[in-house]
Amino acid sequence: MSSRREFLTASLAATGSALAPRWATAAPKSMTVVRESSFIKPFDDYFAKTLAAEYEKQTGIKIVYEATSVGGMLTRLTTIAETKSGPEIAMTGLNHAHLFDNSLVDVSDVAGGIGKQLGGWHENVLDVVVVNKKWKALPWGNIGQLEVYRTDWFKEVGVTKFPETWEDLLSAGRLLKKKGHPFGFELGHGFGDNHGWLYPLFWSYGGREVERDGKTVVIDSAETARAVDFCRKFYQETMLEDVLGWTDVNNNKAYFGEQISCTNNASSILVVGKKDFPDIAKVTDHALNPAGPKGRFHVLNAVSHALLVHAPDQAAAKAFLKWLYDDKQMSRWLTSADAYYAPFLHGYDNHPMWNAEPRYLPYKESLKTSRPHTWPGPQGPAASESVAKYVLVDMFAKACRGDSTKDVIATAAAQLKQIYKAK
Amino acid sequence: MAVRPATLARPAPVAGRPFTVRGLLEREGIFSWLMLSPGVLFLLAFVAYPFFYGMFLSLQDRRVASPGVFVGLANFVTLAHDAVFWQVTRNTFFYVAVTTVLKLVGGLGMALVMNQHFRGKNLARAFLLLPFIVPTALSTVAWMWILDPTFSVVNWLLVNGGVVKSGYSFLGNASLAMWSLVVVNTWRGMPFYGITLLAGLQTISPDLYEAAAIDGATTTQRFLYVTLPVIKPVLIIVTMFSVIFTFGDFQLIYALTHGGPANATHVFSTWSFDIGMSAGQLGMGAAVALAILPALAVLIVGLTLYLRRE
Repeated sequence: MSSRREFLTASLAATGSALAPRWATAAPKSMTVVRESSFIKPFDDYFAKTLAAEYEKQTGIKIVYEATSVGGMLTRLTTIAETKSGPEIAMTGLNHAHLFDNSLVDVSDVAGGIGKQLGGWHENVLDVVVVNKKWKALPWGNIGQLEVYRTDWFKEVGVTKFPETWEDLLSAGRLLKKKGHPFGFELGHGFGDNHGWLYPLFWSYGGREVERDGKTVVIDSAETARAVDFCRKFYQETMLEDVLGWTDVNNNKAYFGEQISCTNNASSILVVGKKDFPDIAKVTDHALNPAGPKGRFHVLNAVSHALLVHAPDQAAAKAFLKWLYDDKQMSRWLTSADAYYAPFLHGYDNHPMWNAEPRYLPYKESLKTSRPHTWPGPQGPAASESVAKYVLVDMFAKACRGDSTKDVIATAAAQLKQIYKAK
Repeated sequence: MAVRPATLARPAPVAGRPFTVRGLLEREGIFSWLMLSPGVLFLLAFVAYPFFYGMFLSLQDRRVASPGVFVGLANFVTLAHDAVFWQVTRNTFFYVAVTTVLKLVGGLGMALVMNQHFRGKNLARAFLLLPFIVPTALSTVAWMWILDPTFSVVNWLLVNGGVVKSGYSFLGNASLAMWSLVVVNTWRGMPFYGITLLAGLQTISPDLYEAAAIDGATTTQRFLYVTLPVIKPVLIIVTMFSVIFTFGDFQLIYALTHGGPANATHVFSTWSFDIGMSAGQLGMGAAVALAILPALAVLIVGLTLYLRRE
């Protein structure tokens, strides 16, 4: 005789299977997509007002657009994953696909289809969206962090082309600071403009936090020491003291306040400049990060879309994502963003969106040399911890304020060993 | 003849009388619990549950969106070996201690002035409350501009007044950043002290001051031997509340410095948020948040015992 529990389980299963076909055939009335507000308002508007309306017209499914504040996506994603409720589709960035692996649906089939249709994916994005050989998010585009500078002031000191190496940039910076136009590179606790140049600088001198195995901490090296020494010199000889306390808003304010001649930022700074500070925008240009002795690097910040496991109708959500990533939609939405997102599909390498403003071309160019934070280490929770604790940023910041190279590296190494549980 | 309150209460329903809701409500025990229940339920849901859930989390290796593994006190042991944790502890205690003293002294001064009679007193009281009323997020934006080296009105005054050659980096220099936060927190929190202590001051009978003056007491003596003893209970309670609020201060620091430069202004609340939310280490984040509990508990129990003894 079966127990009461077994009977109840069997009854529920039978009821479920009886109802299942009806659920499967009934399309959801609506689905919600949550994204962090873009600095490019027309991009958000194009989705909310044009694409969502088109999809509803075609399928009858209403797409609700939820926008979170800038920098608030990770918190929102945490509450969605922890409560297993809320939007079916969410924007992810950095290594979120790894961090929320258990809460995300395998979308390898959709990614494969999109790749086939649009010339294949860029290799370097796989590190952040493929977890245990499964695609946990569909890459949308990279928000590049590049050099932004005043062409008029650089010309005043005889620099007509943006310097190719960090050493050359230092030389230009010395001259510019003497002229009253210092540099302003964030060394505080922001979320983008600090890592945007410090990781590339670190990598370009050969520094690494941890090996690919995620167990061997290698930050205590001669290469790191050279990067730290250079950074201290770069800060002392070209910058304002205040950069040590800057968060992400400060460099924009200082740039448009005509206090600094060069910084590291996303292309949104030029978009804002064209709208609100046209005179400064005219004398603003972008360039790739300078190269160091071991090459040239940029940070990868792949904005992607992921499907949450709690979505009541995953098939319908996947169908929407396929539609969204179809060239007919994707191409238009990318164009609306004024080249703010550099797509990871080779089919878009020469997309017309790049023709409108040649000053954005370095953002396309930077894709080839972009690496995720903490590279070449694995993109799991330890990587998040390292970034959230500002291990690398503080190592450089402490050196800039005067601490010895040996001490700052030792502190960073101790922190990383604790984070990666390494010996 | 004094009437004992108990005689005013309605008699309890007599055994055998038919059961009615009204009858039930007439019983003091039930009625008082009924009145208390919304508050108790609110506290259980929004204070007790998060608190005990936080304690539960702090004993786990619990990553976001993953099941937790019980690790006992391992998170606290890890923290004890983390140099940043001790830096954060020093920052928090410095921040709380200095702001509390400044708010206490300033708030008491504010209350003493506001307790005098002068023209426009009510308007002045309303203005002094403004920092407390304005949402912190908004006032912090204003302070961001005030402390910005480029646009700072303070720097402008100092430079144009010939006091200094170039402006200060209020948030870029580690020491100045902490002191800047202390100033902003004091500015925001002082009216709370001021208005609460003013309420205490207004309960002091003028007769006491008159009697003291007739006995030849000076202004200082009147303050020390009349004012202070009477407002001491209020002073202790307002300090206790303020210390609790300041220990948990988040918005101001997060918006102005986010714990920078190089962790110089990180306090428990901001560091706990970074570890719990940004790093996805919910267990460790909860452990950081709970690390202030012993200090707070000692303070609250100590002050409460002192108050009861008084």
